[in-house]
Amino acid sequence: MKKAATAALLIVTAIPMLIGVAALPRHGDPQAPVHTGVSARYLEGGAAEGGTPNIVANILLNYRGLDTAGEVIVIFTALVAGLAALLTAPPLFTRARRMPPAARAASAPPVSPVVGFVVRLLAPFIALFAIYIIVHGHASPGGGFQGGAILGGLFVVLTIVLGEERALTLMPRAAAPWMQAAAVIAFVAVGVIGAALTGYFLGFPVETMHLAAKLMMIALEAGIGLGGAAIFATLFLEMETA
Amino acid sequence: MFEALWDNRDYVAAVVLFCIGLYVIIAKDNLIKKLLGLNIMETAVFAFIVTVGVVDGGEPPILGPGATPPYASPLPHALVLTGIVVAVSTTALALSLIIRIHRQCGTIEADELREME
Repeated sequence: MKKAATAALLIVTAIPMLIGVAALPRHGDPQAPVHTGVSARYLEGGAAEGGTPNIVANILLNYRGLDTAGEVIVIFTALVAGLAALLTAPPLFTRARRMPPAARAASAPPVSPVVGFVVRLLAPFIALFAIYIIVHGHASPGGGFQGGAILGGLFVVLTIVLGEERALTLMPRAAAPWMQAAAVIAFVAVGVIGAALTGYFLGFPVETMHLAAKLMMIALEAGIGLGGAAIFATLFLEMETA
Repeated sequence: MFEALWDNRDYVAAVVLFCIGLYVIIAKDNLIKKLLGLNIMETAVFAFIVTVGVVDGGEPPILGPGATPPYASPLPHALVLTGIVVAVSTTALALSLIIRIHRQCGTIEADELREME
């Protein structure tokens, strides 16, 4: 009964979507509205106005910079809410109560030596790749969020292989709150600098001071990357101990 | 109708993926599986929006020496990047809430939770 109802609901959902999809412009049509509207304008003027060859990074940081600032605040808020949900809960049903890191490390299953060796070998290269993606994101595929995700993943892998205590030396307790808020701080700082230079919050002085605009963009990307990585790492650590 | 669907088969794939996610959300009782279903639905939406930006013979919208038009539309890419970050945020928050539910109730099966009320 329940299965039949589910199938019926899925069909009822799928049919309007399929009808709508069939009525869309042909896939890849150069005359589709998505190519003729504001996108064409971004492609035409973007490189000169935004100062970066990567138009996607341009839209994210320059044309729609306020959107991205809001997005950064969303992910920071998710961290705060997640920590609030995790840290305030009474451990009623969990057998493994909060143990000190050393005790937990002792009880954790051993890591395969092959995995440990490969992770240790590759870690510097992964970090280098993440940094390249972050600081070169305005001129090639990449950007702060992508590089931040790679850095966060690296932190997770290192935590599993080296243990929490050694991984935490990468994110010391005193610096952790600043790293978690790095993206928000970078947006506020660059926004205020932009306001001082151009008169608009998050304005980039592309035509008058090209180098300054480029540095501001790299600072934003670096802030997003560091902040994203720190947020992923913190959520992983808190969920692991939960 | 069917010809149009065949021309837009990339979009049809996104619709199918969306329905798979919806099925998982409805049919599964485990909260983490429901969350995975939600993630599949989000992926379907992102795939759909990114696919819309494709143009015949297009190149990535990265200008510079050697790049020739036509370029894929950059706007869907930027929108989806924003969307992915929001999806990650909702996933992280939902996982935290699931952990909290497990701590307070001892289970994350929706039917068992319903019986507890």
